[in-house]
Amino acid sequence: MSEHDSGTDRDADAAPAAAGPCTELPEGWAYDAEASGIGVLPVDMFRSIGKPVKRREDRRLVTGKGRFTDDFSVAGQLYAAMVRSPYPHARIRAIDTAAAQEAPGVLAVLTGQDALDDGLGPIPHNPVPSTRFDVKLRAPDGAMPFIGPHLLLPVDKARHVGEAVAMVVAESRAAAEDAAELVEVDWEELPHVADSLDAMAPGAPQVWDEVPGNAFVDSAFGDEAAVDAAFAEAAHVASAKFHVNRVTAVTMEPRAALADYDPETGRSTLYAGSGGAVRQKRELAETLGLDPADLRVLSHDVGGNFGARNRVYVEFGLVLWASRRLQRPVKFTATRSESFLTDYQGRDLNTHVQLALDADGRFLAMKADNVSNVGARCVSLSPLSKGSGLITGSYHIPHAHLRARAVFTNTMCTQAYRSSGRPEVTYAIERLVDIAAEEMGLDKIELRRRNLVAPTDMPYRTAMGSIYDSGEYEANMDRAMALFEWDAIPARHADAEARGKRLGVGLANYVESSIGTPKERAEITVAPGGQVEVVIGTQPSGQGHETSFAQVVADMLQTPVERVRIVLGDTDKVSLGGGTHSGRSMRHAGTVMAMASADLLRKARTLAADRLGFPPEELDFTDGAFSHRDSNQTVTLAELATADAPLFAARTNEMHAPVFPNGTAICEVEIDPDTCRIEITRYASIDDVGRCINPMIVHGQSHGGIAQGVGQAMWENCPIDAESGQPLAGSLMDYGMPRADNVPFYDVGISEVLSPTNPFGVKAGGEGGTTPALATVTLAVLDALRPLGVRDISMPVTPERLWQALHAAPQATESRT
Amino acid sequence: MSDVTINVNGTDRSATVEDRTLLVDFLREALGLTGTHVGCDTSQCGACTVILDGKAVKSCTVLAVMAEGSEVRTIEGLAEGDELHPVQAAFCKHHALQCGFCTPGMIMAAVNILERHGPDIDEALVRHQLEGNLCRCTGYHNIVKAVLDAAQQTRIAAE
Ligand code: FES
Ligand code: FES
Repeated sequence: MSEHDSGTDRDADAAPAAAGPCTELPEGWAYDAEASGIGVLPVDMFRSIGKPVKRREDRRLVTGKGRFTDDFSVAGQLYAAMVRSPYPHARIRAIDTAAAQEAPGVLAVLTGQDALDDGLGPIPHNPVPSTRFDVKLRAPDGAMPFIGPHLLLPVDKARHVGEAVAMVVAESRAAAEDAAELVEVDWEELPHVADSLDAMAPGAPQVWDEVPGNAFVDSAFGDEAAVDAAFAEAAHVASAKFHVNRVTAVTMEPRAALADYDPETGRSTLYAGSGGAVRQKRELAETLGLDPADLRVLSHDVGGNFGARNRVYVEFGLVLWASRRLQRPVKFTATRSESFLTDYQGRDLNTHVQLALDADGRFLAMKADNVSNVGARCVSLSPLSKGSGLITGSYHIPHAHLRARAVFTNTMCTQAYRSSGRPEVTYAIERLVDIAAEEMGLDKIELRRRNLVAPTDMPYRTAMGSIYDSGEYEANMDRAMALFEWDAIPARHADAEARGKRLGVGLANYVESSIGTPKERAEITVAPGGQVEVVIGTQPSGQGHETSFAQVVADMLQTPVERVRIVLGDTDKVSLGGGTHSGRSMRHAGTVMAMASADLLRKARTLAADRLGFPPEELDFTDGAFSHRDSNQTVTLAELATADAPLFAARTNEMHAPVFPNGTAICEVEIDPDTCRIEITRYASIDDVGRCINPMIVHGQSHGGIAQGVGQAMWENCPIDAESGQPLAGSLMDYGMPRADNVPFYDVGISEVLSPTNPFGVKAGGEGGTTPALATVTLAVLDALRPLGVRDISMPVTPERLWQALHAAPQATESRT
Repeated sequence: MSDVTINVNGTDRSATVEDRTLLVDFLREALGLTGTHVGCDTSQCGACTVILDGKAVKSCTVLAVMAEGSEVRTIEGLAEGDELHPVQAAFCKHHALQCGFCTPGMIMAAVNILERHGPDIDEALVRHQLEGNLCRCTGYHNIVKAVLDAAQQTRIAAE
């Protein structure tokens, strides 16, 4: 959010000091126990924190009583269907809606011109990350970048296949879909471009007239002179170019929205699963020109997010608008085909990386040139930005230089996708380290060991200016190798070979960042019955906040977890809150809930002192009750609350310092050289998540994260046909997914090196599984194929690509016969 | 339009629907049984899995009129009052769900695996049988564990 734009330490072209231990920490970086009002949290008060408490969400979800958006229906509701562009780039000459208007059951056919006439504006996406710890991404001329206005329906032209250009509202979904087919758009096809490198080439088609050359962000970071000097002296330089493929989130619940309008009050209610109802409300109110007080957004059960639901979708604004025009409820539910075309997508980074080493294999400097494909307009620069801060990975690299560009193309917009930006750069550095080891004839584990950031150098400032808060990187690697049974690799190799298979192992270290919206608010109420209600602004989509947040408050108030109820996802109750993204939730919510709990206990103590007749500071608080050593009287929190005056405290907290979860993952594959079938036979990882509130939930996050990373490396891909500009992955029949029968059990371990930046020492869980997985899988496959002469392969590493690589390899013929 | 009567979770339920109405829409829209989900339009995801005359089917590939006179079990009909079905209980115990969207279909598929194969099943069979049910959250680890444990519980109960 731009209001947090302050500080100058990450400006482009500012020459930061060489990387190393960070001696001058920015103000407010470390957790200040005194200023926070909660002091140091004694571990002995943790009763349920750290325990695998079973989830309270589950009962409704296993009995079919979940409340997903499409499960809601309001009497008299209508259905919306979209008319979408079949072209990647085409001017809209005219839209003839007459036939559709006449179709049975149709109430309205609306176009972009109607939206303009009604005064609707673009979605205010605010894509440039701007906390004081984010790198500053700017236009080539140094100004704030042009992002391409995101109207709900365009009036000039369609800029990607699937872009909605008109909406039909009818009595049934089928009637709306039938009528949408009758809308005639007079298109003028225009030249198109899908690849970000092609889009920067001279003469490439222009996505926006405002941005000649399509690169709307071009910023440089780091000390270029120092990097050049180090490269000039280096004993060896390793260099590589990678494309981190475009994927899509495939949340199992397709996106949906139901808008209801109450003409009596003038208020609209929008049921729409998202990554945070507060943002949806703010941005949608602005788009429609509504007083925010006239909009209520509800986000109950959300069937997966992974970043794709963080930003506003046009259909959410469209159903709101239609329901106000027609004074009837209007629902839209995307089909899976629509999701493949128009869910915000992920990754799509081209990166050119170079690493300079001395003769002993010590890293001297690094160069990176990163190009992010944002699609037809810029919804979020999070992936480019997050990755920029982490190009040096887990390693001490004294100097680094990065050029970061973002480019418009005629494709669906990209957005943060699980572990936004981090898997991309982790893939680049880890592959580069393997390449350097091979070229220099060094052991790849030993090369890593030599260069990992040491715990004694924490907090550590990287050459990109990121401050790694804490971590024991080498210990992670050792623990992961032990978990993996690294020593058994030769025996497993022999065993695989005896079965005619090629075995390969890939190891990757990672460090990722959790930044996210800095503000969070908690309101805690204790009712006379002892029930505790906590209102908080995060938005889970499977992460179990109703359970893990209750654990935190239960321990703070020393009350059973079952008594604590978490309220989220209703903007009439939640006034402020940053939503759930970037692994921010437990850190921000945990901190502010602890603060609000402490405020509540302070109030309660004063009341208890009155009741018990002793000075407040002499009271003990144990098991949810105040007592005094000279008395056998006690008073519980529940007894201090009355129906008229429940115990209540609210706190808003702002926390800027990012944290850096880290770890190591190892993947083993077996490849059948005849069929090129790849099987993952073993996967082990250690994730340092800082304080772990609920290990059952964190392990679950690791499992799912691994599968998503493995999916991208092995099967998932959103390719575009260069000639026609058509997306080739339009359904689950064209898009390979992790399935029950193509992934193994995972061996996951947690490491808890507490972060000094917040009271619990939380870092984050959830992205650690995905971050290294692109690298581990690819490195394992390359390890298996190295004896056959294969040195490079790009994701996804499908059997077809393997086969091509094997047949193109110089030693292919000899070693295969 | 056709009149359709289907026995759903032990009760005959009737509605008049368009001939093109899918069984899943009949359940969700006509009967309000929203526990059965729709996750795709190509019969790939399994979110809509119900048990039709003793066999797990994807209810998005069955027309409501084709199920006329049949018996359908959905996620809503699985628990006996407050008592969860062993598969439901195992899903909770093993954290086999995160967002819970795939869960009803996954559970119905798993229940049917146990019904068809009995409790003596192993990991490979469970993974193979669940191949048509997609989950984006769990990486399948805890789902497979839960199904194997439910089988184990059934074995113990039978002894
Ligand atoms: S809805 Fe996906 S298989 Fe039926
Ligand atoms: S739990 Fe979310 S899709 Fe399976």
